[in-house]
Amino acid sequence: MMWLSGGFVFRRTDSAYHRLDPRVKLLISLLLFTTSLLVRSVFQLAFVLVVIVSIAAVAKLLKRISRTMLLTATFSLFIFVINVVFTHNIATSALYATRFVAIVISTSLFFLTASPDELEQVMKTFHLPRDVVFAFVTAVRFIPVMMLDTLQIMDAQKSRGLELEKGNVLKRVKNMIPILIPLVVNSVVRSGELAEAMESRAYGAVPKPTSLYVYRSSITDRVVALASVGLFAVAAYAIYFILPVSFI
Amino acid sequence: MIDFRDVSFVHPTGVKALDSVTLTIKDGESLAIVGENGAGKTTLVKHITGLLKPTTGVVLVDGQDTRETSTALLSRKVGVAFQNPDHQLFSESVEEEIAFGLRNFGFSQDLTAQRTDWSLKTFGLEEYRKSSPLILSGGEKKRLTLACILSWDPQVVVLDEPTVGQDSIQKEKLVETIRMLGSTGKTVIVVSHDIEFLWPIQPRVVVMARGKVVADGPASRVFEDAAVLLNARVTQPQLVAFRQLLKAKPSSPFVDYLDARRSIAELMK
Repeated sequence: MMWLSGGFVFRRTDSAYHRLDPRVKLLISLLLFTTSLLVRSVFQLAFVLVVIVSIAAVAKLLKRISRTMLLTATFSLFIFVINVVFTHNIATSALYATRFVAIVISTSLFFLTASPDELEQVMKTFHLPRDVVFAFVTAVRFIPVMMLDTLQIMDAQKSRGLELEKGNVLKRVKNMIPILIPLVVNSVVRSGELAEAMESRAYGAVPKPTSLYVYRSSITDRVVALASVGLFAVAAYAIYFILPVSFI
Repeated sequence: MIDFRDVSFVHPTGVKALDSVTLTIKDGESLAIVGENGAGKTTLVKHITGLLKPTTGVVLVDGQDTRETSTALLSRKVGVAFQNPDHQLFSESVEEEIAFGLRNFGFSQDLTAQRTDWSLKTFGLEEYRKSSPLILSGGEKKRLTLACILSWDPQVVVLDEPTVGQDSIQKEKLVETIRMLGSTGKTVIVVSHDIEFLWPIQPRVVVMARGKVVADGPASRVFEDAAVLLNARVTQPQLVAFRQLLKAKPSSPFVDYLDARRSIAELMK
């Protein structure tokens, strides 16, 4: 589980991509996301996937993005089967299934390279309410903690003779109760403690608190942002006016 | 008997948590594992129940290779009370919480009721029988986790940081419980940072540092070796340090360094 979780959780890495302004990283992810929706064939989508994987290579994230793809592929296969059953069109089904993978990994590219602090700064750029930003960023920050909690709870229950992989589907779902209850209770207790700790450190005392860092775009950031928008414009033009309409 | 044969464990992140550990724990032995945070103590005990499997080497519990045995089967022999009780309590009532393990191991209804009663009585939890385990205090929750483990009478009892959140009276009671377990022939393994808590138990002490066993022997010998303890970032029990200081004086009075009250009485004479 921890192996798979590595495909979604931010880890500090030194790469040219990580050093980009978080707003530029968000822009790139949004453009890749949009392109994945615009493309009209599996081949075009494969090209988008190659671009995403190339960016992941620059960001030294090849192994981790492959985990994201592996986990996404399971759902993707489900989408493919359901579509084949209802549309009887393999090409369309393959396009939808691959599109799902592209959408998820373009999004995860942002979350894998933007620290919770950077995420907070990006959200502040959009002038979102401070409480909303704080709640979202805290939730992201607590994902690894919750995963660790889950593993520890599983260890504790397995040590009391609980066999999670035993029995039919119903039994397995029932076996999750001793895992989920402590997880939920711990999360509620932790959120209460966090709220108290934040209030005791003057959270909400002033309407506009100051920041430790203020992000300023460098020349590189601006060049990368402009190049990304330019490439997106070219891709969109090619999809609608040059490339043939085909699901394959 | 628990046998670690040249056991190494590397986490999926690449961190080496255990490095060529060779250790034999005999039946009925009381063993304390000490060391700083990240020394590999919890990783070591997780190998006993097969929660972690060695990357290289072998762990044998009563001759059974943990790589080939399920955690559920090993847990029948080895009961582990984990550090954080909130990681295991989930039932509607304290008695249900105790009965959970017994039911998993297939105890009959009569025996489950009998063992649950015994556990509630032994750990002073009878008055909370029908209460939710979630409303208990930290110390009571800790006692409940111990009651849960001992209910199925495992051969080996592992206590991971049992003194966390316990007041001094509870700690003294815990010392008595460990002594009681030892006297009934159980193997007791205690993982703890609390050296003062371990000292009166006088267990065999294994000191770990950076995934290796750096010292192993009776508490009276291991805790005397200040250099080894310093290297493992473990402090000496105060009474041992006190005795060593007194020994440096030529006319040092006799001090029973196992009992602080008696030591003071001797010095006051």
